[in-house]
Amino acid sequence: MIGVIKNLVDYRELIAALAWKNIVVRYKQAYLGILWAVLKPVMLMLIFTLVKAFVGIDSGEIPYPILTFAALLPWVFFQESTSEGINSVTGNAALIKKIYFPREVFPLTAMVTKLVELAISFLILAAMMVYYQMVPSVYALWVPVIILYTMVVALTISFFGAAMNVYYRDVGQMLPVALSLLMYASPVIYPLSLVHQKLMVEKAAGEWSETFYMIYTANPLAGIIDSFQRVMLKGLPPDFNSLMPGLIAIAILLPLSYLFFKRAESWFADII
Amino acid sequence: MAIIEVKHLTKEYKLGALTGIKDSFRQGLAKITGRETWQRERFKALDDVNFSIEEGEVVGIIGHNGAGKSTLLKHLANITNPTRGEVHVRGSVAPLIEVGAGLNPELTGRENIYLNGAILGIPRKKIKEKLDEIIDFSELEQFIDTPVKRYSSGMTVKLGFSIATSMDADILVVDEVLAVGDLAFQRKCFDRMEELIKRQGKTILLVSHNIRQVERMCERVILMNQGVMAADGRPKEICTRFYSENDEKIKLQTAKVGGARREMTGGVEVKQIELLDKSGRGVEDVDYADSLIIRLTIVTSIVLNKPYFGIGVHTTDFLYLATENTDDLFQEKTLYPGTHVIEMKVSSFPFLPGAYSIRVGIGGGDISKPLFYEESMFTFLVKMPGRHIRSTMKEGFVSLSPEWTLVG
Repeated sequence: MIGVIKNLVDYRELIAALAWKNIVVRYKQAYLGILWAVLKPVMLMLIFTLVKAFVGIDSGEIPYPILTFAALLPWVFFQESTSEGINSVTGNAALIKKIYFPREVFPLTAMVTKLVELAISFLILAAMMVYYQMVPSVYALWVPVIILYTMVVALTISFFGAAMNVYYRDVGQMLPVALSLLMYASPVIYPLSLVHQKLMVEKAAGEWSETFYMIYTANPLAGIIDSFQRVMLKGLPPDFNSLMPGLIAIAILLPLSYLFFKRAESWFADII
Repeated sequence: MAIIEVKHLTKEYKLGALTGIKDSFRQGLAKITGRETWQRERFKALDDVNFSIEEGEVVGIIGHNGAGKSTLLKHLANITNPTRGEVHVRGSVAPLIEVGAGLNPELTGRENIYLNGAILGIPRKKIKEKLDEIIDFSELEQFIDTPVKRYSSGMTVKLGFSIATSMDADILVVDEVLAVGDLAFQRKCFDRMEELIKRQGKTILLVSHNIRQVERMCERVILMNQGVMAADGRPKEICTRFYSENDEKIKLQTAKVGGARREMTGGVEVKQIELLDKSGRGVEDVDYADSLIIRLTIVTSIVLNKPYFGIGVHTTDFLYLATENTDDLFQEKTLYPGTHVIEMKVSSFPFLPGAYSIRVGIGGGDISKPLFYEESMFTFLVKMPGRHIRSTMKEGFVSLSPEWTLVG
């Protein structure tokens, strides 16, 4: 793990240059440029708001559009950086065959690239907060930590997925499906408090309720989205109870995923 | 201490397509149930290669296509790992393997300088300092803010070369890159390379099919052949050896493929070409400066008035070296349908050792166009038995048989 951080420092110029290339190349001939990047969360927010009008989701005292946008912001960031991360190695086949640098530069670059798009989504969130006359509390200082944690989660999947994708392209095909399923298992459309209410207060699953809640929060995105909404909109500190199961899962999986990537790395150029 | 050390390097690739999940699954199932598993055939791209290179050496690597040159470079650049053996490289490696690799077509020339610089590990500050020099060297001032996708291939290579050679690596790896670009730019690249070699004392690995270039620039040459290091030593000896191997190969190929240009209007056909040595024996190859008879056996199916014959010698890449024609010599003769034999005697065959081919033209009557014409009809080697072939003999086709005098 220390290796990753060291590489991040040693290769920061390369990562920055590659990320900048990704962004420039993607939007170079597009008239609207990088604005396209925020289209996805905004469209999803509009759709969810529309759906909510039919099914009725209790969003508490926070207006639903901004609550769901605050969920979509980390979610879309996670989803996009994972997809980008998994395809980052196979997408750079030309470089991998010609030149050596630590291959984790590619997934790391994918994260940094998406960070720029995330920044633009933040502008939209800020505009919405102005519209709803909401003022972020001092707990908003947690945001960088939450985003960093999201990147670590995306990296955990990316390292393993990117290496697998070199051998089996099925991974790249399967991922969008798996991620869209994961969205429904994450508190994006509905708030985490609703799940908490059902399982922990109403004990909807009887004696299994607590186990189910733990499994639900073992998905790190549950804690991330909930915490993000709390610190940005509710003026509350992150809820560590909902973060903990996910944190433990990532703490175990990240080193394994990284080791797998490093072991597979030396054959990338032969297989890709 | 050696800057590059390669010990028992072996690299195997599996032949055939990469197995998909289905095959892996079936393999796994076979393993569990104890049935036979199958292995894809293996191919040795490199086979027990050993050498070491000292700092400041300029080493050329030559060999036919598929000899393992590029695979070797990939190991030195740490792009791939050996199946067996070890590779030790002490110092940073600047790969020039196909320079265009790091260039992005969507970005402009200037943006690419920064990007490619970062990929090669040049600090941004340093690129900024060198920006003008790089642009100047690439001769692309006018186009530097145009996307590379609008560049010609020559322009792309110029840009790539300019960036890569501005890097301060200990080892520079050059793979076939100097072959591109116009003559003037090639000249410039040469000079830049020579400056890197002579003044900055860099270690350079040069892979090329341009043997003359290798011979000129390197002080040591490694000859690869089918994954095995066939020779390692002084450029002159090894390049000469490579040339003669090449000649043999070309001869075999042209014998198989047959003639190149061929025109026949019918009526006349060459049945056979023979080379006869001074004692009248048919030979495959010829000794240098020996007397030689080229004998054509032709079959005519028409009455041919005023026949004329032409025999020429050309290199295997169709450079015409000599052409002889009977012109009006047989003006009074007439060939009736049947088989005829024509001989051309050369009292001293003038061409230096190498591979040569014969072309033949036959015409007659009042038509100026030949009735029969074919190139590469017979390919043969000129040899020089018992004598060492000086490498200067490879830099020309004929000997001037000079007499040297040191006056004063």
